[in-house]
Amino acid sequence: MENVATHEDWRVCFAEAAPGLVLFARQFVRSIADAEDIVQEAFVKFWRKQHPIENRALLFATVRSTALDLLRRDVRRARREASAYAAAEHSVAPPEFDAITESQQALAAAVDQLPAEQREVLVMKIWNELTFADIGTVLSISQNTAASRYRYALAALKKNLISHE
Amino acid sequence: MNDFSELEAELKAMRPAAPSATLLARVERELAERATATQTAGVLPRRRESRVNWFGLGLGLAAAAAFLLLARMKVDQPVQTHPPVIAAASAAPQSMDVVPRTLVPDGVTRVVYNTSDEGLVYPESSAEPVRRVRSRSRETLQWKDPGTGASLRVSYPTEEVEFIPISGQ
Repeated sequence: MENVATHEDWRVCFAEAAPGLVLFARQFVRSIADAEDIVQEAFVKFWRKQHPIENRALLFATVRSTALDLLRRDVRRARREASAYAAAEHSVAPPEFDAITESQQALAAAVDQLPAEQREVLVMKIWNELTFADIGTVLSISQNTAASRYRYALAALKKNLISHE
Repeated sequence: MNDFSELEAELKAMRPAAPSATLLARVERELAERATATQTAGVLPRRRESRVNWFGLGLGLAAAAAFLLLARMKVDQPVQTHPPVIAAASAAPQSMDVVPRTLVPDGVTRVVYNTSDEGLVYPESSAEPVRRVRSRSRETLQWKDPGTGASLRVSYPTEEVEFIPISGQ
């Protein structure tokens, strides 16, 4: 399928998608600078292949693959990030959100407590508005599995918030 | 409406922080530079990459050649005949060379005995994720001598790794 997106289309596409992409990349690396590097590399790869600009599942799959590839490339980094990723199950630096209120801070902290596999589904669904079919494509899982992880994430968040009230 | 609609609304109200100001500029600059450097980037058709285990194939062919050579040497050797007593007065023993002994290809088989999907990978040479599928098989080449009915069979293992571009939709 030929892609007829113009340079301006790509620029606008990136400007709109960048915050969500960086947030998604931060699920793999803790550093914002690393996350931005991943997003830049992935988006340029995506553009070079002239994929349909609206194919967001492939864009997120590219970001995910780039992040995992980065982790594999540097052994020392991989060890550090892997341990950080594992530790992320329990404690991570909160994702950055604009104009966050006190209640939203509590919610962000609860999001950080989620298992990584639930959190990445939540990030793609809530802040990037991907469909479950798209999320399934990104993660190579079924649509139903993606939906289940999303529901588990919401249930866990609700339980967490109730317990702190 | 589900039980989580309120929670979802709260989450959606939180907007991810904007990335650094330089990120947009960096990407835009890179797109512009690469656009001028590679006008055809991205319009090349996707190709299905296939890598054959050349070492295994070469080893197998070398073994086949060795077998053929040995078979030929044995055929070319003068035959030590021990004529039976009743044939003592018969004609001189016939040389093996006068009998055409040629091995002709008789068959090729390839049996795939294992195929494993190794998931998505991101090769250096590709800008898109691809699925790596590894298949192991055994190829058998067979020759036959139509004159004597003798046959020669060479079998060797092969391993093939295919990189299949994934479809986004």
